[in-house]
Amino acid sequence: MELSAAFLRELEAIVGARGVVSSYEGRLTYEADMHTFYKGAPDVVTLPETAEQAAEIVRLCRRERVPVVPRGSGTGLIGGAMAPAGGVMVGMNRMNRILELDFANRCAVVQPGLINLWLSQATREHGYYFAPDPSSQMVSSIGGNCSTNAGGPHCLKYGITVNHVLGLQVVTGAGELLWLGGKAHERPGYDLTGVVVGGEGTLVLVTAAIVRLLPVPEGVKTLLASFSALDDASEAVSAIVAAGIIPSALEIIDEFFVRAIEEGIGAGYPKGAGAVLLIELDGPTGEIEAQAARIVPICRDHAALEIRVAQNEAERALLWKGRKEAAGVAGRMTTNWLLQDAVVPRSKLPEIMRRMQAIGARHGLRIANVFHAGDGNLHPMILYDERAPGETERAKRTNEELLAACLELGGSVTGEHGVGLDKAPNMPAQFAEADLNFMARLRRCFDPDGIMNPGKLLPSHPACGEGFRPSASRLPAGAWV
Amino acid sequence: MAIAAPALSGALADIVGRAHVSTEPAVLDTASVDGVRPRWIARAGSADDVSRLLALASSERLAVAPRGSGSSVALGNPPRRLDLVLDLSRLVGVTDYVPADMVASVEAGTALDALQARLSREGQRLALDPVRGRARTVGGVLATHASGPLRFRYGTGRDLLLGVRFVQADGTITWGGSRVVKSVTGYDVPKLLVGSLGTLGVIVGATLRLHPTPPATGSWLCAFDSAAATRNALAVLLASPIEPERVAMLNGVALRAGGWASEGPALLVGVGSVEEAVRTQGAALADSVRREGGRIEHVPSAGWARLDSALDAPVVVRIAGQVRRAVDWLRRAEDLASRARLEMACVGQAGNGVLHVALRGVTSGPALEQGMLGPLRQELGDEGGSAIVERAPHELKADLDVWGPVPAESLAIMARLKREFDPEGVLNPGRFAGGL
Repeated sequence: MELSAAFLRELEAIVGARGVVSSYEGRLTYEADMHTFYKGAPDVVTLPETAEQAAEIVRLCRRERVPVVPRGSGTGLIGGAMAPAGGVMVGMNRMNRILELDFANRCAVVQPGLINLWLSQATREHGYYFAPDPSSQMVSSIGGNCSTNAGGPHCLKYGITVNHVLGLQVVTGAGELLWLGGKAHERPGYDLTGVVVGGEGTLVLVTAAIVRLLPVPEGVKTLLASFSALDDASEAVSAIVAAGIIPSALEIIDEFFVRAIEEGIGAGYPKGAGAVLLIELDGPTGEIEAQAARIVPICRDHAALEIRVAQNEAERALLWKGRKEAAGVAGRMTTNWLLQDAVVPRSKLPEIMRRMQAIGARHGLRIANVFHAGDGNLHPMILYDERAPGETERAKRTNEELLAACLELGGSVTGEHGVGLDKAPNMPAQFAEADLNFMARLRRCFDPDGIMNPGKLLPSHPACGEGFRPSASRLPAGAWV
Repeated sequence: MAIAAPALSGALADIVGRAHVSTEPAVLDTASVDGVRPRWIARAGSADDVSRLLALASSERLAVAPRGSGSSVALGNPPRRLDLVLDLSRLVGVTDYVPADMVASVEAGTALDALQARLSREGQRLALDPVRGRARTVGGVLATHASGPLRFRYGTGRDLLLGVRFVQADGTITWGGSRVVKSVTGYDVPKLLVGSLGTLGVIVGATLRLHPTPPATGSWLCAFDSAAATRNALAVLLASPIEPERVAMLNGVALRAGGWASEGPALLVGVGSVEEAVRTQGAALADSVRREGGRIEHVPSAGWARLDSALDAPVVVRIAGQVRRAVDWLRRAEDLASRARLEMACVGQAGNGVLHVALRGVTSGPALEQGMLGPLRQELGDEGGSAIVERAPHELKADLDVWGPVPAESLAIMARLKREFDPEGVLNPGRFAGGL
C-alpha cells in the first residue's frame, strides 16, 4: 500500500528519523521471518524506544487504517513477523533492557526486545533463571516469546511462556496503552494477560513484560540413550512417563538428524544410531538420582544400545547444542524442506511415527524428525528438491496428510511455533466454525478495526494485499525448532 | 416475542424434562443467589440441554445464574436480575482419560473428589486443591478460579485447563484450547473462561492436565517467634533449591483450628517426591528454619485437610499482594481485624502472595468496608494487589464493594468482551468485577 509523505512525516515525528527505515533495501531485511516461504516487506519499519512511542504509532495507524506488524527478533517459523498486506512494522529491538530484577518477588520486568537468554544470564549468578527456553533463545526476544507463547525443550516440566508471564504492558489495536496483570498473582476481572499471550501480534503490541524467575535447581543430570529404531525410543518415552517421572526434557533425534548434527557440529551423538533420546532431569539431587536410576533400566528394557550420562557441564552443553541447532545443520543436507510443529497425544507417538513413514514412502519423500517427545510435539521435516518435477507439490501433499493424521489422533496443528500465515488455512481442520467465530470476535474486542497483524492466526478471505509473494523455501542462515 | 410464565415453564420442561424443572417456592428459596430468588431451577442433563436453555433465555431475556455444587454461590455482587438457576450437577463423568497422556476430559458438574478418586487408581491427580473444594464441581472451581496450596508448584486452573467446552449466552456450543498438553493453535480461550464466573459462557466440559502423584510426601510445620523471622524464613525458602509442592502460612487462629498448639504466623510446607528427596529436602528445610530461630516439626500430610475448617466462617476475603510482602499483609490484616474486634483466621498461599482470611463477628457491610477492606485495598493498590470478598451473607453485601476497584483501562476491555459475548446480559448480570 502507498503511504503518504504526510503519514511518514508523522511517524518520524514520533520516533525520529533514526527510528524509521523506509529505503527499499532496508525494508527487505524485514520481509520474512525464518519461514522464508512467505515474503512481504512492510511499507515502512519503525523502531520505537519507548512504550509511549509504540502507542503513538498504533494510534496513528488506527486513524489511517494502516496495518501494524509487530516484530521481535524475527526468528519465528510461521510467517508471522512479516507484512503480507504491507503497512507499518514495529520492530521492538531497541527496547531491549532489563528494567528490574525483583528476586524477592521471583520476577523480572523487561522490555520486549530483550533476548531470552540474556535474562537467564543476568540472573543466574543470583541463583535464578527464566524457564522458557525455545531453541532460538540465544536470539529470540521475550516480547516475541510472549506473542507466540513459545515453548522449548524444558516446557515439559515447566510449562510454556504463558505459565511464566505475570503481567504485560501492551498497546491494543484500539491504541490503548495499559498494564495487564502485574506482580501480584491475582486480581479481579478476566485474565486478559493469559488471553493476549500467544496472540501473535493480532491483539496487542507488547511493550514490557513481568516474567517469573525460578531458583536454579539444585542438580541437573543429562542422559543420552541411543536406539537402533525410532519406535524403541518412542516406546521408552511412554514408559518413562508412565512410571510417574516427568523429566524437565525428553527429546528424540532421529537417524537423519544424528548424522547431520555429527557432521555439522560434532555433539558426541553415537554415529549410526537409529534414534537418540536426550533425557534431562533437574531438581533436588536426591530426586534426580533416584529418577535416573529408574530411567536407565527402562531404556535398557526398550533395547537401548548405549546409555550415557553427561559427566560435566561442557559435555551437557554440547549435547544440547546439537539438539538446539539441529534444524540449522540439517538444512545443509537437503535442497528444500517443509517443517511442521504438530502435536499428538503422547501415547500416540509410536503410531504417528509409523504413519509418518508410510505417508513419506507413498510420496517418495524422506521425513526427518527431531522433536519434543515428552509432550508429543513433533517437528517433522519433509525433505524435497524443488528442481525435481512435481516434488514441491508432493511435499505439500505430504505435509497436509501428516497434519490430518495428527489431528485424527486427537492432536493439534501447532505446539509452540504458532499459526501465523502458514497454518491459518489449517485452523478449520481443528476448530468448528463457531469456535473460529468466537476467536474472531475476541480479536475485535482488542482490535476493533482489524489493523493488528492482519491475515495471521485466523483464516481469512483471500485478497491479502500487495507485497505477498510466496517463494520456494530456502534455508535461513540459522533456524531453531 | 415474550412468552407467558406458565408457557416458559413448559418450554423449560420440554428441554430438560418436567422432573428437572422446579418452581416450588421452598426449592427456589434454597437456590437464591444473595437473597434474590429465581423463578425457575432447571437441571441440565447434557451440553445440548444447556445450549437450548440458554437459547431460550436469550430470546426471552431471562437472567441466568449457572450453578455447580452451589458452595461458592456467595461469590460476587448480588445479581442485577435473576430468573433461572441453571444447575449443572447432572453433567457428571470422566468422558475421556488416557493415563499415558496424563490428560482427562470431564463434564463440568463432576465433583473434584470423584475425579481425584478415579485418577488415583492410576497414580495420578489433578494438582488443584481449592480450599473447601473437595465436593465442588470442576466447572465451578474453574469458573471461580479457586485454588489451594498446591498452586505453589502446579499453578491454578489457568495453568491446568487445556481445553474447554462452553455454551455462549445465545446457546452456541463452543470449544477452545486443545486435548493435548502443548498447543498454541488459536487464541487461548480457556484462559478467558477461567475465573470469569460464567459471565461470558457456561463451562460444560473441561480437558485437564494431570500430574503423577508423588511416591512420597512430607509436611512440616515451621513456627517462629516473630513476624520478622517468618518473613526471613519464607524468603530463604523461596530463594532455595528446595522444591515444595505447597507453602502455606497460618496465623494463630488457623493453627488452633487445625489442632496445632502454636502461635502464628507459621509456615506449613509440603514436599512431594521420591522418599530420599523428601527426606533430604525436609532436612534442608529444618536447617534453614533453625537458622532463623524457628521450630520445626514433622506433621502428618492429612493435616492439610484440616485447613478447610479454619476457613469455615461467614465472611472470607482473599487478599493478593506481592509475594515478598505476604507476612506484612497478614500482620496488617490481623491488626485491622483486631481493631474492628473481629476474629480472623488466615490460611495463605504464602509463595504466591495470596491470603485467605476468614472473619467472624462482622456486623455490617460498612463496618467491614471501613474497618478492613477500605484501608487494605488502598494500601494493596500501590503494589497492584487486591482484596476480594469471596463469601459474605447477602445482608452485608448491599453496602459492600465485593470485588474492589478494577483499573479503568482494563475494565474498558473487559466491558467490551462482556458486550460482545453477552449483549443481552443473560449470564450472571451484575455479579462480576466492575459490575459486569
